[in-house]
Amino acid sequence: MRKPYSLRKRLSYGLALGIAFMWLAAVLISSLIVRHELDEAFDSALQETAQRLLSLAVVEIMDHEGALSERRISPVRPHDEFVTYVVRDQFGNILLHSHDADRSVFPTKPRSGFSSTATHRIYGEAAVSDSIFIEVAEPLTHRRQAAMESTLSMVVPLVLFLPFSVVGVWWLVRHSMQPVIGLSTQIEARSAGDLSPVTSAALPDEIGPIAIAVNNLMERLQRSLEAERSFTANSAHELRTPIAGALAQTQRLISSLPENDLRTRAQGIEASLQRLARISEKLMQLARAEGGGIIVEKAIDLGPVLDAIVDEFRRHTQSGARLRYTPAEAGTLVARIDADAFAILMRNLIENALKHSPAKSRVDIELLPGQVRVINVGPVLAPETLGSMTKPFKRGSSKADGSGLGLAIAAAIATNGNIGLNFQSPASDRQDGFESIVNLPLK
Amino acid sequence: MRILLIEDDDTLGDAIREQVASDGHAVDWMTLLADAEVSARAVAYDLILLDLMLPDGRGLDFLRGRRSAGDTTSVIILTARDQISERIEGLNAGADDYLVKPFNLAELTARIAAVARRYTGNPNPLLRLGTLDIDLAARTVRRDGKKIDLTAREWRLFEALLQHPGAVLSKARLEEHLYSFDSAFESNTIEVHISRLRKKLGREVIETARGIGYRLQRT
Repeated sequence: MRKPYSLRKRLSYGLALGIAFMWLAAVLISSLIVRHELDEAFDSALQETAQRLLSLAVVEIMDHEGALSERRISPVRPHDEFVTYVVRDQFGNILLHSHDADRSVFPTKPRSGFSSTATHRIYGEAAVSDSIFIEVAEPLTHRRQAAMESTLSMVVPLVLFLPFSVVGVWWLVRHSMQPVIGLSTQIEARSAGDLSPVTSAALPDEIGPIAIAVNNLMERLQRSLEAERSFTANSAHELRTPIAGALAQTQRLISSLPENDLRTRAQGIEASLQRLARISEKLMQLARAEGGGIIVEKAIDLGPVLDAIVDEFRRHTQSGARLRYTPAEAGTLVARIDADAFAILMRNLIENALKHSPAKSRVDIELLPGQVRVINVGPVLAPETLGSMTKPFKRGSSKADGSGLGLAIAAAIATNGNIGLNFQSPASDRQDGFESIVNLPLK
Repeated sequence: MRILLIEDDDTLGDAIREQVASDGHAVDWMTLLADAEVSARAVAYDLILLDLMLPDGRGLDFLRGRRSAGDTTSVIILTARDQISERIEGLNAGADDYLVKPFNLAELTARIAAVARRYTGNPNPLLRLGTLDIDLAARTVRRDGKKIDLTAREWRLFEALLQHPGAVLSKARLEEHLYSFDSAFESNTIEVHISRLRKKLGREVIETARGIGYRLQRT
């Protein structure tokens, strides 16, 4: 799988680096062009100077014909020479030179055209049938400085503006990504049971359809969850009523029959109907447990639900008197769990504890914030038995008359509701017994 | 007791009515809330057996309506819906007990007896009246350990008086308690039953408040 990445970081870095790179490339290319143009301009000026000076030098030399001695042209006014020159004959004897001319700069033999040394750019021009040469030298430092300065004049503003453009890119990306981030935090922050629509107003065209699609999906999910829930509830109703009718009529029939064969048969029917009632009850619970909608939108206090369940056991079953339970303070068991699902879970755990413990032994229901523990007396169970307990139709080693579905239902509710459900044997702080621990999901 | 049964399923309703009647109670069976409403206004029932899903409305609305009209008749809800939320809602609406279908008829009988005892402020099913030992749950009366046989009618009449210790019950009230709408009775039936009861239990047990009605001897 590819590592997740941030679109915003990617865009920010990409744009900032891209801009910086383009600018650098632009500066490099333009400085090369400037350099080239500067060279051309300087060269042309050098050539011009040489040609002007040459005609003057020829006249000067002709005026002093015969006196072939080296002459230094004294400056009109003292100054630093930028451009220096020498005039030589074809043998290299210097006829004339500017006052600051450094002879070592010039090649030993005079030459026409442009040439470069490590430090100077030189231009030579010949006159009078190649008997008089003028060579003009200009230090390269001057050109370099000019090129440097023009490059700098381009680089400095860029360097100054680069941070601004990076900040600008970052801001633009952040600003444009805001709706995306808003949408994703909105979806991320919602709870698992929250199926309310996300706000799709003011979203850009690119992600608007996502929000609409998400909302449509939520709506469909909501509808199908509701349909499923009402189907389970309705089918429970539809199934129970005829069973109740059949059972009640059978019991009336039995009470009207004398002790005989017919009565025994009717009792057989009664027993079957009771078994049918029990198993259909459990199957409906399992359907409820494996369906959706166990996590609900709003947290509710499940304490009163547990009170009602314990009350139900105490009122309606003989073994209910074995339950040791003290109602919790309000707020001890607050979770986003459907009350009926929680009721089914707790009923099955309590039923299991009552069923698999000796008659007259206590079954303790202990409460801690967010936790319910149901503890019963009984032999220690093997770890492999504990592990396979929640499989449907698996009944430990016990001979108790159960549907074999109770703990499977409890486990399904726990899984779908994010509820922690653990079984322990022996029970904590005891030598034997069995303990179911229910940890409600945090808010 | 006079019991109002509200149940729209024929098979189940029929069996319940038969069971409750065989326990010695007078039963009026209604399949619609509208009819039940009329009956509940006309008759002072001792107990209502209420299904929650009727063709013309929700049983809980009926219950709330009765309670807000000041009716304190005990109510046992019979329902095929087992959601804990509905159960809590039902008990909050003022129901005394809750039975989820399918249930055993014996269970129904026991609950009716339990609610009746709870409602008359006497959760103890064993009473002593003069020299009589009465077991409300088992419906037996003994004197010095010897069982006195009562017919269902006689027991029902005696039970009505036991439920209102010290109070004078009019002949009309006792008739109402004894008979459902569809049973025929002679105008002097109450007198006949009272005199039979006195013969079996002893003259002093039931006093006559002349021109008003009857009451239990004061202990």
